[in-house]
Amino acid sequence: MSTVMEIESLGKKVFASADSWLFRDLNATISEPAIIGILGKSGQGKSTLLRILGRLLAPDHGTVRMEQKAMEQWPSALWRMKMSYVAQQATMLPGTVEDNLRTASMLHQRPFDQQLARALFEQLHLEQVEWTKPAQQLSGGEKQRVALVRTLLLRPAVLLLDEVTASLDTRSKLATEQLLVDLHKQTGTTILWVTHDLEEAKNNCERIWFMADHQLQADMPSHAFFQAPPTEQARDFLQTSLAQAHPGAKEVHPI
Amino acid sequence: MTYTSIWIAFAFVLIALLLSLWQRLGLEKEIAVGTIRSTLQLLAIGYVLHFVFHSDSILFILLLIAMMIAVASWNAASKAKKLRGIFGRIALSLALTELVTMGLLVTLGLVSPTPQYLIPMSGMIIGSSMIVCSLFLSHMNREVETSRGEIEALLCLGATTRQAVQIVLKRAVKASMIPTFDTMKTIGLVQLPGMMTGMIIAGASPIEAVRYQILIMLSFSSSAAVSAVLISMLSYRLWFTRDSMLHS
Repeated sequence: MSTVMEIESLGKKVFASADSWLFRDLNATISEPAIIGILGKSGQGKSTLLRILGRLLAPDHGTVRMEQKAMEQWPSALWRMKMSYVAQQATMLPGTVEDNLRTASMLHQRPFDQQLARALFEQLHLEQVEWTKPAQQLSGGEKQRVALVRTLLLRPAVLLLDEVTASLDTRSKLATEQLLVDLHKQTGTTILWVTHDLEEAKNNCERIWFMADHQLQADMPSHAFFQAPPTEQARDFLQTSLAQAHPGAKEVHPI
Repeated sequence: MTYTSIWIAFAFVLIALLLSLWQRLGLEKEIAVGTIRSTLQLLAIGYVLHFVFHSDSILFILLLIAMMIAVASWNAASKAKKLRGIFGRIALSLALTELVTMGLLVTLGLVSPTPQYLIPMSGMIIGSSMIVCSLFLSHMNREVETSRGEIEALLCLGATTRQAVQIVLKRAVKASMIPTFDTMKTIGLVQLPGMMTGMIIAGASPIEAVRYQILIMLSFSSSAAVSAVLISMLSYRLWFTRDSMLHS
């Protein structure tokens, strides 16, 4: 079986001309479909990495391979259909909720899978949302979930999720997490999931990529990362994040 | 009109200069440069037109039109300096607009193919199309910036650059054409167009002058549409990298 994705010596500078790197020499292989949580402090380049993988941003060094073919050899539209990025700030396209849902089928002249769309809506607790409603009138959380469904109807092989549950209430957040886990189990979709929520990463991700010091410092099973953080920065990160999540705790241990 | 009258007309500039000095606007240099440039440019084009009209050579007419297109393209391109290759695309849009509009005017027998008609009317068509191109570029720059999320959302769903930018492109094309049609609505009520005024001053009957003005105005509607659509089709790709990403 071919690998899902290979990241080879990937680098991105802070400014195109200067010699300051946001991250550099980033290497990773996803050999089989997985849910991978991408963790790290703000400003380590997690979103930038996702945008590069989604081909919304060009790397300054290195490449990414999918199905043994470097990204430059893929037509960009085809690449983005297979590896689709969902932004933290969901953008609704002009028109109704249904117009948004039909976007992928309109763009690629495919039949619209209404049944799947309805099922996804139900699973994400969106069944109350009228499809005829102007999409701009949805709440932030509804927009986020509709944007996710819009992408899922494209059936990408790899989902690039940039803090997609950050704006959701607890019930919607848990439903979204469950949907993503089910999707991965049922269809073998690989999910790269940037999150600042350690519980979310621990409960749903099989592997963790930890970014610090301009590098990918850890690529390991999720339970191992949380039980024994492999580097000083990873330990600090977990402790700080836990302290922020539970400000009253006197001492913080790895979860 | 004599040259003495022109010298006397410089009194108007003197008023502007004195006001600038009195109010300390610091515009003296701008006023002086503007005055000298416009006077020299108009005198030069007067002599050039005199020469071209008398030579009656198609080559000189074409050369003059090419020069107008080049200057108009350079001016419109200055509104979008970051877009590499925009000059050539504007020039092509203006040349094709000129070809379509003047081609129709001549082949339909609406104007005679003589320098007296071809050159001033070409100037007006190229000038109005230049404004349309400039407006398109300004609107498009703004639209792409404000609709970045929309464009990227479409790209993420596997849209081609054309599909991703279609809505934005439509808005920019529309916005660039609106002033032309707004002018058509108020022409004759709010402002008397330069060409018509010039003809009346030169002794033509106002009815004759108005007929030509109507002809010009109607041809502007086609040239605005042609130039806006052409520049949009030729240039939209410039907002993307070779890899179909939006330029940052």
